[in-house]
Amino acid sequence: MSTTAETVPQGLGRRRMRVDGWRWTGRIFLAFMLLYTAVPMIWMLITSIKSGFAAMQFPPQWWPDEPTLASYEKLLDPQNSVGQDFLRFFWNSLFVSTVTTILSVIVAVPAAYAFSRFSFPGRNFLFFAVLLRNMFPAVIFLVPLFILMRLLGLMNTHGSLILTYLTFGLPLAIWLLKGFYDNIPVQLEQAARIDGATRFQAFILIVMPLSTPGIIATAIYSFIGAWNEYIYAYTFLTKNDQLTLPVGIQRFFSENTTDFPGLMAASFMMSVPVVVLFLVLQRYFVRALTEGAVKH
Amino acid sequence: MMQPVGPEKIRFVQKKQRHATVTIVTCKAEARRRLQPGRSGVLGKIWKHRADYAYVLPAIAVMLVVIAYPIYYTIELSFFKTPPGLQLRDKTFIGFDNYATILTSELFWRVTWNTLVWTLGSTLIAFVLGFATALALHREFVGRSLLRAILIIPWVISAVAASYIWKWIYHSDFGIIGAVLVGLGLADRPPNFIDSVSTVLPSLIVVNIWREFPFAMIMMMAGLQTVPEQLLRAARVDGASAWQRFWHVTFPHLRNVSTVTILLLAVANFNSFIIPWIMTGGGPSNASHIWITHIYELAFGRQRWGVASAYSVLLFLTLMTLGYFYVRALSGNERQEGSP
Repeated sequence: MSTTAETVPQGLGRRRMRVDGWRWTGRIFLAFMLLYTAVPMIWMLITSIKSGFAAMQFPPQWWPDEPTLASYEKLLDPQNSVGQDFLRFFWNSLFVSTVTTILSVIVAVPAAYAFSRFSFPGRNFLFFAVLLRNMFPAVIFLVPLFILMRLLGLMNTHGSLILTYLTFGLPLAIWLLKGFYDNIPVQLEQAARIDGATRFQAFILIVMPLSTPGIIATAIYSFIGAWNEYIYAYTFLTKNDQLTLPVGIQRFFSENTTDFPGLMAASFMMSVPVVVLFLVLQRYFVRALTEGAVKH
Repeated sequence: MMQPVGPEKIRFVQKKQRHATVTIVTCKAEARRRLQPGRSGVLGKIWKHRADYAYVLPAIAVMLVVIAYPIYYTIELSFFKTPPGLQLRDKTFIGFDNYATILTSELFWRVTWNTLVWTLGSTLIAFVLGFATALALHREFVGRSLLRAILIIPWVISAVAASYIWKWIYHSDFGIIGAVLVGLGLADRPPNFIDSVSTVLPSLIVVNIWREFPFAMIMMMAGLQTVPEQLLRAARVDGASAWQRFWHVTFPHLRNVSTVTILLLAVANFNSFIIPWIMTGGGPSNASHIWITHIYELAFGRQRWGVASAYSVLLFLTLMTLGYFYVRALSGNERQEGSP
C-alpha cells in the first residue's frame, strides 16, 4: 500500500524513465541475440574463404590474409571428383525434396479441407491420430521401416525417402492447412453451392484459390523438412551416388576431417536454397505456422 | 436435439434454400432414406458421411502403412531375442527380458538423466529467449523486419550444417570461442568444450537453443498481436507499471500459445538426434547420449534389435503421456475458438 502511495505523486518524469529503462533492456537484449545468431554464420562464411592452412592458425585470422574462393570452386567443379559428388548430392536432395513437396500438397489439401469442414464420425480421433504422429521420433520407426523398405525392395532408392518424408511431413502440413481453411468463410462455398456448383467444384474453384498462401507455406515447409532430413537418408541409403546433401556431406567429411574451409563452404551452399526460399516467402511461412496456434 | 454448430447446420440451411428449385431431387432422396430404416446410429452416420472419408483416405492410407505397421512391429520385436544382422526368422521369444535388461542397466539411468537435462534445459531456455525476443521486437522500429529475418535463419538451415558450424566454433585448437577466451585472458589455453564430460551437454544445449529459439519467437510474436491494445491502454491509464501490464494483461492472453509452443519444443527436443549424433556421437563416455541416440546406437551400431525395440516402446509410452497433455492443450485451444 505504502509503495503505491509513494509512486503516484512522483508523476510522469519517473514513469518515462522507467519505460526507457525497459526499452534499453530490450535493445541490449536484441543486440545480444543478434550476436548469438549471426556470429556462427559469419564465422562459417569467413572460414569458407580461407585456405586450409589459414584456417588452422592459432590465434585465428579474424579476416583471412588471402581470401580465396578455392573451396567453392572445388565443390562446384564437375571435373573434380569432390565437385562431382557434391553436385550429385545436391541434385538428389533437390529431386527428393521436390517430389515430396508435390505429393504432400496433393495428399494434405483434401485431408485438411475435410478436417476443417466436414463433421464425419471419428473426425476428431483421426485428426489427433494424425497430429500424434508428429510426436514420435524417427528412431522409433527406423527399424521396422528399414525392414519394410527391404521387403518392398525400396532400399537404396529415393522412393524409400519420398514415402517416409511424405508421412512425417503430412501431420504438420494438414495442421497448417486446416488453420487456413478454418479462416475461409463457409458462406463463400454456400453461395457457390446455391449457384449450382457441386461440393467438389466449390472446393476447387472457390476454396483452392483462396488458400493459395496456405498451400505455398505448406509447400515451403515440406521442402525445407525434406531438404534438411538426415536420419532416414543416413539409414536407408548406402550407395554413394544416391546420397542426399546432409548425409553426403557427413560421409565426405568423415574422410577429410581437417578440410574445414571445404566443410564450411559445403554447409553454406547446403543452406542457401532453403534460406533463400524462406526469405522470399517469409510472409506465408510465418503466417501459416502460427495460424493454427493463434486465434485472430 | 442439440446439433453441433458448423457443417451440420450449414447442410440444413442449404437444403432449405434448395427446396424450392430442386424439389424432385430432394423428394427422391427422402424416399430412398425411408426405404432403409436399418441405417441408424453410428453406422448410419458413417454411411451418411461416406463421401467425406474420401478426402481423408489418401492421408490415412499412407500413415497406416508407414506408421501403424512399424508401431506394431516394434512392440512385437521388443519381446524377442534377436540375432544380429536382421536375420529375423531366428528370433526367440523371451517375454519381458529386454525390458529387464534395460531398466537394470546403469547406463539407462545415466542416459535418462541426460535426456531430462537436455529436454528441459533446451525447451525452457529456448522458450524464454524466444519470448523475450518477441517482446523486444513487438515495438515498431527501423530495421525490425530485417532483424527478425536474420534471427529466424538458424531455424531454417539444416541441423547438419548447424552441427558442423558449431563443431568448428568449439574446436579445441582453432575454435573461435577458445581464441576469444584466451585473448581476453580468461583461460590459459582453449577449453575443450565437446570433448570433456562436464561441458559437453551444456555446449550441445547452446547449439540446440541457437536453432530453436526462433521458433518460440515466431509463435510468441503472433501471440502478442492478439493481445487487445485497449486493455493495455486501460491498464496504463489505471497506473499499472510496464511489468504489471505484462504480468496481468499480456501474459494471461498468451497462456494457450505458450503451452502449445512449450509442448512442441519439448517434443522436438526429446526427439532430437542430429545435433548430438553429429557433434559427439554420444561421447565422451556416454556423457551426451540421450535416449534417441542411444536407441540408434543399440539398433544400428550394436545390432541389438530386440533391446532397441523395447527401448522404443518405453519411449513410446513416455511420449504418449506427453501426447496426452499436447492433445489436451490443443483441444483447449479449439474449445476457446468455439466460444468467441
